[in-house]
Amino acid sequence: MLKLENLEVTFATSRGNLHAVKGVTLDIAAGESIGIVGESGSGKTVLSRASMGLLAPTATRTGTVTFDGKEISSLSREEVRETWGTGMAMIFQDPMTALNPVRRVGSQIMEGLTVRLGLSKDEARKRAIELLGRVRIPDPEQALKKFPGQLSGGMRQRVMIAIALACNPKLLFADEPTTALDVTVQAQILQLLSELRIELNMSMVLVTHDLGVVAGHTDKIAVMYAGEVVEYATTKDLFARMRMPYTEALMKSIPRLSTPSGSRLPVIEGRLPDPTKPEPGCLFASRCPYAQEKCRTQHPDLTTDSNGHQYRCFFPLGAAQ
Amino acid sequence: MDSVKKSWVFRLTVAWFILIIFFAIFGPWLPLPKWDEVFDNALSVTPLRQGHLLGTDSNGYDIFSGIVYGARISLFISFTAVFLGGTIGSAIGITAAYVRGKFDYVVSTLFNVVLSIPNLVLSLALIAVLATNVDPNVPTSTGRRILVLVISLTIVIIPILGRIARAATLSWSNREFVLAARSMGSKDRNIIWRHIVPNVLPAIFAVAFLAIGVVIVAEASLSLLGAGVPDGTSWGSMVARGRNDIEFAPHIIIVPLVFIALTVISCNYIGDVIRKQLDQRQAKL
Amino acid sequence: MLLPAWSRTMTTTASGNTAHLRPADQTLLQIQDLVVEFDLGGGRVVKAVSNVSLDLVEGETLSIVGESGCGKSTLGKAILQLPAPTSGSIVFQGTDITKLSKKDLRNVRPAMQMIFQDPVSSLDPRFPVSRAVEEPLKIWNRGNEAERSAKVDELLNSVGLDPALVRDRRPYEFSGGQCQRISIARALALEPKLLICDEPVSALDVSVQAQILNLLQDMKDAYGLTLIFISHDLSVVKAVSTRIMVMYLGKICEIATPDELYSRPLHHYTSALVGSVPVPDPERKVSANLLEGEPPSPLDPPSGCRFRTRCPAATELCASEEPMLRLAADGHYVACHHPRA
Repeated sequence: MLKLENLEVTFATSRGNLHAVKGVTLDIAAGESIGIVGESGSGKTVLSRASMGLLAPTATRTGTVTFDGKEISSLSREEVRETWGTGMAMIFQDPMTALNPVRRVGSQIMEGLTVRLGLSKDEARKRAIELLGRVRIPDPEQALKKFPGQLSGGMRQRVMIAIALACNPKLLFADEPTTALDVTVQAQILQLLSELRIELNMSMVLVTHDLGVVAGHTDKIAVMYAGEVVEYATTKDLFARMRMPYTEALMKSIPRLSTPSGSRLPVIEGRLPDPTKPEPGCLFASRCPYAQEKCRTQHPDLTTDSNGHQYRCFFPLGAAQ
Repeated sequence: MDSVKKSWVFRLTVAWFILIIFFAIFGPWLPLPKWDEVFDNALSVTPLRQGHLLGTDSNGYDIFSGIVYGARISLFISFTAVFLGGTIGSAIGITAAYVRGKFDYVVSTLFNVVLSIPNLVLSLALIAVLATNVDPNVPTSTGRRILVLVISLTIVIIPILGRIARAATLSWSNREFVLAARSMGSKDRNIIWRHIVPNVLPAIFAVAFLAIGVVIVAEASLSLLGAGVPDGTSWGSMVARGRNDIEFAPHIIIVPLVFIALTVISCNYIGDVIRKQLDQRQAKL
Repeated sequence: MLLPAWSRTMTTTASGNTAHLRPADQTLLQIQDLVVEFDLGGGRVVKAVSNVSLDLVEGETLSIVGESGCGKSTLGKAILQLPAPTSGSIVFQGTDITKLSKKDLRNVRPAMQMIFQDPVSSLDPRFPVSRAVEEPLKIWNRGNEAERSAKVDELLNSVGLDPALVRDRRPYEFSGGQCQRISIARALALEPKLLICDEPVSALDVSVQAQILNLLQDMKDAYGLTLIFISHDLSVVKAVSTRIMVMYLGKICEIATPDELYSRPLHHYTSALVGSVPVPDPERKVSANLLEGEPPSPLDPPSGCRFRTRCPAATELCASEEPMLRLAADGHYVACHHPRA
């Protein structure tokens, strides 16, 4: 469904060229759900925006993006726009800023329907009510008339999902969709996304920093660090046979329900490398507890093992296969 | 910011501003004829003739001298009005926004009421009351007229800058560092002085520059209406005096008008640059 | 705008919701029947905190967890009287601080400090770091300039920052985690006994959270602090707490030690909360009993038990009578008519 080949994104800033995404290659099949996990500065958000063609003009993008068989990376902005809504759609972290606060919810949903699908106003209204019902908003007819500010965070996120799904997209990007929500609401929204995905046979790219969120809701996971994909495997395989020291360090440093109380959490020392100053060697070397001389001088490429598990390390964890 | 500093528009603007201030301060010591020195043989002379750089008006007064002396009055009035109005308005606005409650309600209402009265109407009313003697035949002194002008324009400026100060304070006093200062036991007046005022000042400053432009034009308008400085020393009164000669000697009003316009434009531009710099700084936060 | 002062003298009917409190002479802080309500005008009153009682023994870390709107942040600020609560008593080190005059209250402040959620806006953007950390010392005239400067350096060192590098820089030059360290240094300047942390790591990146949590633990040991830790993140809270208190819509649902609370949640809300936390284990089945609906508005909370509108075990009793906190197991209290077995 979506194929990224050697995607690179660079921003021109006053401090020099900022390499946000470096040579990412990913493949997402129809109906598949993949998670992109990383902290801030890993490039995960830039990656999803770049795939859709939503970057600011100050960004330079190289590499190819193929969507549904068509190569879209060389298209102009107008042409790419045709794929939005019916092909690819995106939902964002903060529904309050993603929704227009002075327009009613109904009109925002119907906009996509009338403009993109060419429905009449009545048909669009019926479909909007149907969509709101599908995202489990109580009393959809009343909800149409409300303004975003009158709804709770969870409701707003559901509205945003309804808008994204209005034109039956084949691929949905969900960029930190639940980070701003309470944990019980988060669970509801994630459940909803999973159900809708199966119902509509839609591919989904779930971008988050939370390993817990991707664990239950994705088929494959790509871990990003400093603009590169450093590990890529099926969800089961990633957790069962973690290969990257970074992924292991991330898992260990996150407090969990199973963490014994009063314990000190292991910490990843050091800081992210400066994205404007490219350095030789592995980007995680300065913070890696297993780093050796080779790691500091040579930059590791992605290796694939017999299970299709990709990792970017000279000395991966676990027995060599 | 650097690109702005280097642009020739900015440099020109600042240069103009400095020039006007130079005139205002050093005017009387420049080797120019006094503004009311009469040149009988050079009435209504157009600029660059007969040794008069900007010409003369129908009374024989040298226009360039008029501009230089006029700068004193116009700038004095506008700077003073904005400074006083800004200080008083900010003090009231900041206190109201920090304290909230009834005091804030009363202050906002007062501000809104005064703001709803058009500037000129308000200042005319004040001038009429304060600057006329009981016996209408006795003219008021220049000094008194200037004082009244300053007072009335100050009153006009108070709610303008007061509202800005209030709005800025409302947004700053909700920040957590203010809450932190209170939790440390800092007294309210110290919080206002050390935390609120330094953060609010840039916003007020930016608008203050715009206000200077507003007051210069207001003073000119009042002079045109006859309520300004009587003996025609300010730019506005130069315009007023020359309005009868528009047909035959338009330069008499065009010259001061151009000076007013350019000065107001440069004030607005500088205020705008300050505001943009502010926004950039805020974005970093 | 809070309700008028005269209403504070009206005695609230003793709620009897104090079963979980320990004898007053053993506690550093004892709060009884705290009520915080905000009058929005037009007869609408936000009941943010309703008859909450809690206590703290010196040296413990009490965590208050709940979702947005439960009143935990309001509770934290009310303890510091910022603003003063509508009614209730707060006895700190033997004195009821709600009854103190403005001047006496001010004198108590150095002993209770707070750190906030947004690390960057917790610091005045115009103050260099040294000035920000020195501020509390200056307010209280502790020592002369040289002594204060030395103390600032000592504090910066203890939070893991190099004074020479950070002294003269401004907050915007630092990351969220570093700003939070500076806030902690500032909060410790007056050597408080009680430190209230209001969502201190929520705005921070995941890998930085661990650093700050460890730092708080270290500071607690070094300075002999007692902590109140407010958070919505159950996992974070598990690592740091001695006891955890769960709040919902202004009321306490359950109090227990972390292990007890997460392994045997007795209140239905707690169980839903614990079940909703995403666990990085693909084998674990996503919880089937998710909470339905949205929390009711604090303007008009449900009668009786406030959780009853979303509770799978609600009965008529829950609507008519408010459940009180009752002892269920050692140190484990729950406010529910039909707690889970």
